Amino acid sequence: MSNGHYEPPRQSALGQFFDSLFLLALVFASLFAPLYLGLASGGKTEIELADKTTWAGLGQNAVMQGAWEKLGYTPETAAPVIVSRFDYSFDLVALGVTALIVVGYFVLVVAFSKSEYREVIAERFGRRDQ
Amino acid sequence: MTQTTAIHGEKISLLRVLGPGHVWALGVGIVLVGEYMGWNFSVGKGGAIAALIACWVAGLLYTCVAMIDSEVTSTVAAAGGQYAQAKHIVGPLMAFNVGLFLVFAYTMLEAANAITLGYLIQTVGGMMGQTTAGGEALVLHDKPFIVLTIMFLAWLNYRGVYATLTFNLVITAIAFVAIIILFFAVRPWSSDVLQHNELLTGLPYGWIGVIAALHFGLWYYLGIEGTCQAAEEVRSPARSLPLGTMTGIMTLLIAATMTWFICAGLMPWEYLGQAVTPLFDAARLMDSLPLMVLLFIGTIFSTLASANGCINDASRAWFSMARDRYLPQWFGAVHPRYRTPYRSIVFLVPVAVLFAYYAPLDQVITFSILSGLLGYTFMTFNVIMFRRKWPLGTIQRGYVHPLHPLPALVLLVLCATTYFAVFLGYGTQLMAMMAFFIIASLWFHFHRYRYVRRGDQFTMPWPRPLGDY
Amino acid sequence: MPDINTLNNFQLLEYGAWALCIILGVWMLTDMLRTDMTYSEDLLTSSREGDIEDALVIDPTHQGGHR
Repeated sequence: MSNGHYEPPRQSALGQFFDSLFLLALVFASLFAPLYLGLASGGKTEIELADKTTWAGLGQNAVMQGAWEKLGYTPETAAPVIVSRFDYSFDLVALGVTALIVVGYFVLVVAFSKSEYREVIAERFGRRDQ
Repeated sequence: MTQTTAIHGEKISLLRVLGPGHVWALGVGIVLVGEYMGWNFSVGKGGAIAALIACWVAGLLYTCVAMIDSEVTSTVAAAGGQYAQAKHIVGPLMAFNVGLFLVFAYTMLEAANAITLGYLIQTVGGMMGQTTAGGEALVLHDKPFIVLTIMFLAWLNYRGVYATLTFNLVITAIAFVAIIILFFAVRPWSSDVLQHNELLTGLPYGWIGVIAALHFGLWYYLGIEGTCQAAEEVRSPARSLPLGTMTGIMTLLIAATMTWFICAGLMPWEYLGQAVTPLFDAARLMDSLPLMVLLFIGTIFSTLASANGCINDASRAWFSMARDRYLPQWFGAVHPRYRTPYRSIVFLVPVAVLFAYYAPLDQVITFSILSGLLGYTFMTFNVIMFRRKWPLGTIQRGYVHPLHPLPALVLLVLCATTYFAVFLGYGTQLMAMMAFFIIASLWFHFHRYRYVRRGDQFTMPWPRPLGDY
Repeated sequence: MPDINTLNNFQLLEYGAWALCIILGVWMLTDMLRTDMTYSEDLLTSSREGDIEDALVIDPTHQGGHR
């Protein structure tokens, strides 16, 4: 390979348009679709309470009850808020896969960056003598 | 100050007409809204006490971020922004990713601000108690106001930043004072108003809840690293940068603790954990109209200031990438009259609107936090590579952070813990985000990069990096 | 479009907000199109890293101009 200077091609207007469209579509497909399809609402559970119709049954003391009422809640409307809990039980395989993907992502990005960075440095500072 | 022209021959460029006060307003203005909304979701993830612990641990995380970022930014000061750091230290694909982290962190924060503002207007509309002729309660819908917030601020930014950021300075200060006034109004020295004994219920999820709460604990400070990037206009970066950022973090730590103290002493954690406007709710519980008006104004101002700064930052990150042709160069245009990256501003509007319109607040905030978190993870190996490629003494550094590599390692551990915290309860969003960045990276490496110039990207006057390059 | 006389205050506010959104959106789009047609693409995209330095050293943004 010569010590040449890389001159990038000029991108056509249509090419630019498709690239913009691709990024926009990617954002909505990957971030929005899970929300829209309801896939992201998992991870919640409810605690069991015998009596969900009174403040005492919901485990609220007098001070708490006063606050709820001032905020415009009744035991009926407050119940779904009070019994809702996150489900923190997880399975180790899912955790392992997630960790692997996050680490793998950074490894991938740094590795590709390194090969691109070599070209940048070679062009900026000249090639090292072999 | 009038806008000056900066036409060099046949070129036009962005205008730089802002003083350090504006930069403070931009940095703190973006972050302060974190005290008005969003932080309280950490109460939902682990209970009120877990939220306070998370707040302090996140403070440690941001202390590491500030130390590391001060050193790199004060050296790449001329180039500004983590995007330029990545370009010079790690490489083009990393820079592309870091640029996207910035765009997403800010665009999602902007959407979150719009949602909060719309919700507040709906709440106040409901409190006015208007009814129809038939006696039914009227509802003022939030959607038009959500969209209007984004459109209005996009328009302001399109027209130029100087006036909007001067405005930011004032409204950020008012929003900050509102928190202090509320703190004294609840008489924290007595227990007439605040009833922590009655309301604090221990750790409803146990200690795993404390880790899970760290997810939204980041929200108290998210964006403070932006003040570091004001390196260019600081007179002596070596002193001012670390000092300014650290005092900023301390101020936020105090404000965050005050906010927690007020809210945890006024409402049950189950409510607080899902509230959209916790400080405004605190004022409602005080039975005082002046306080309600004050916190209403504070919430509106903090969301506006934040969203305004976000549009500014996100569009400029997008613009910078387009100018380097990392993105279609069409976005690298500057408006000849207003001197703003107008095409980038317009392009990002539909993204913000769609997420603000359809997505729930906690999800939008999670996307913003995840983008920030990916950026902090990048900082850990970035600073280690920086010290390897240009050891101390080889180039002029504005500031050298102590105890290297300890802050980087602590930051890495805290980042890993925070990924786990997000995984608890929001694992799907974490995967969606990773899928996006992996596909975008492959697209960049195999398709987009051919349009990018190679050697021209390296603009710092540094010697060749050490090592195998 | 509903009859204006049957609208309550809240609905008026909501329609007003929508109308403002449309006005601002149309303003930005028309100004963008007009600007694009008035100036050459080369001039509009002529900004380069570091150009601003000699004009004014203050960067209004975090990521604004470089150098």
